[in-house]
Amino acid sequence: MKNLITRIGDEVSLAWTVAVKDVKVYYMTPPMIMFGLLLPLFLFFSFSIKREIGVDVGIARLLALTTFFTASSAGPVIIPLERRTGTYDRLLAAPMGLGTLLLGKTLVGAFFATMVSMVPLLIGLLALGVTVADGWLLAVGIPLASLAFSAFGLVFASIPSQSVGSIMMPSTLVRWPLMFISGIFIPLADMAPWARILAYISPLTYAQDLMNHAVLGAGFLNPWLDLFLLPLLLVLFLIPAARLHQRARVLGY
Amino acid sequence: MTNAIEVEDLTKYYGKFLAVDHINFTVEKGEVFGFLGPNGAGKSTTQRMLTTLLTPTEGHIHVFGHDLAHDAYPAKRQIGLVPEESNVYTELTAWDNLMFTAKLYRVPHAQRVANVQKLLETFGLWEKKDIKADEFSKGMRRRLSIAMAIIHKPTLLFLDEPTPGLDAQSTRAIHDLVRQLNAEGTTVFLTTHQIEEANQLCDRVAIIDHGEIAAIDTPERLKQTFQRVQSIEVALEPDWKKHQQELAALPGVITIIKAGDKCRLYTQDPSALLLEFMRYVEEQKLRIVSLSTLGASLEDAFLEITGQKVGTIQHKTAPARKKRGKGGRQ
Repeated sequence: MKNLITRIGDEVSLAWTVAVKDVKVYYMTPPMIMFGLLLPLFLFFSFSIKREIGVDVGIARLLALTTFFTASSAGPVIIPLERRTGTYDRLLAAPMGLGTLLLGKTLVGAFFATMVSMVPLLIGLLALGVTVADGWLLAVGIPLASLAFSAFGLVFASIPSQSVGSIMMPSTLVRWPLMFISGIFIPLADMAPWARILAYISPLTYAQDLMNHAVLGAGFLNPWLDLFLLPLLLVLFLIPAARLHQRARVLGY
Repeated sequence: MTNAIEVEDLTKYYGKFLAVDHINFTVEKGEVFGFLGPNGAGKSTTQRMLTTLLTPTEGHIHVFGHDLAHDAYPAKRQIGLVPEESNVYTELTAWDNLMFTAKLYRVPHAQRVANVQKLLETFGLWEKKDIKADEFSKGMRRRLSIAMAIIHKPTLLFLDEPTPGLDAQSTRAIHDLVRQLNAEGTTVFLTTHQIEEANQLCDRVAIIDHGEIAAIDTPERLKQTFQRVQSIEVALEPDWKKHQQELAALPGVITIIKAGDKCRLYTQDPSALLLEFMRYVEEQKLRIVSLSTLGASLEDAFLEITGQKVGTIQHKTAPARKKRGKGGRQ
């Protein structure tokens, strides 16, 4: 029992070590800036300009978009880069489980997304006079959503490739439809029932709803449901990610 | 006594292609074991399986008694890996690279700093400790990569092609380090296609070809096996090339090859050839600059075993092989 506790402690510590290293190494890499920072901004302006939405609605929307795109980009950017340079082998050969490695990668994606989401939040709070209805919900919601979306990105990162582009293409093909069917541009309340059912498929829906509760003070779903579903999604994404990464190891990646 | 590595029926398919074909071998504790083979023979695939980077299709690997399929964790803690490409983090300084690796291998905090400092000094990188590896030369990255592999004092060190592309000084430094680590008790598994490197460093070598182990023995025994391949190496004045045809036609010469500014006459009977050669030199009034007789080299043995072209060797017809090829990452 003592050995097991020591081992779990070791694995958590190793996941943290991997995450800290990744933050140091990849925080300013061009793909991270492109896919994690600029893309959500472009998307936001593309679909929000001239739509006469309130600033607070825009900030809630931008927070959800940022966590979604930044967190889900980390794995698909970092892992193929590490495969190409051989540094991924260093991690695979180290005395830690594959699950620990993926947990570390999940943490780094969540960290990037949380940090990047601070930019629109601070601009909204300090420059645009936005008020946050529930600070605690925001403080918990952003990291939770980031963790879930980061694990989502790891599913794509399991594609056996050393090219960021080869992984980003299918990742984008999935993420964009998920964005459009979510309640991010059309509020859930305004959707037709069939569209709402479709929206529930998208993990972004729950992050958007949570951001609405946090910033606007009102959402469509119960915020406790969002808070329950996001960690559940984290686990549900990590399981196939681990299996697919194991499969990639069989193929030699 | 538990062996450092025990491999049983190790097999790897990439799809339908057979890359490693039911190989068996053991590496004893404390030896330097060379793993030789031509390109695409299955060397890297085997090493990747031994270091847990690649999942075997069939077979078992035990490292210090631990089955890698079910109990890899304690084995991994004892393994150090120097891959063919120096996989350092170019965005990090030499210090940060080593500290990160030390943390990965759970080197205690107090020992971590001391180990990093000692290795940076040993590898001549102390002055560059705060410089990002991106600015390092190839040789410096190689040294850093090796330092990262031994930061936790592994008892089993895998070296994959450690010296290609390095200058003579760096190569010698790495060879000296391998000898030193081995003298301190580290088992070394050296994957190389540089036969002379294996000859100098290894207690035993395995030769893999077409995914199968073709031979395992000490370098000297392998050479003796092919002792029938001997040669006379001479430098002449004037240049031997003007006499190439005549030399090749001397009785007993199987073939003649250029060896730098010298020529090498392969034969099965060097003493008889030597008499014929001296007679020819006298007749032509040539001057011998240097002359030596050579036994079979490890390279000759390697080429014979792998059925590759060597001037003197009568090739056996290669048996029909199963269809195989490479896959995954090479």
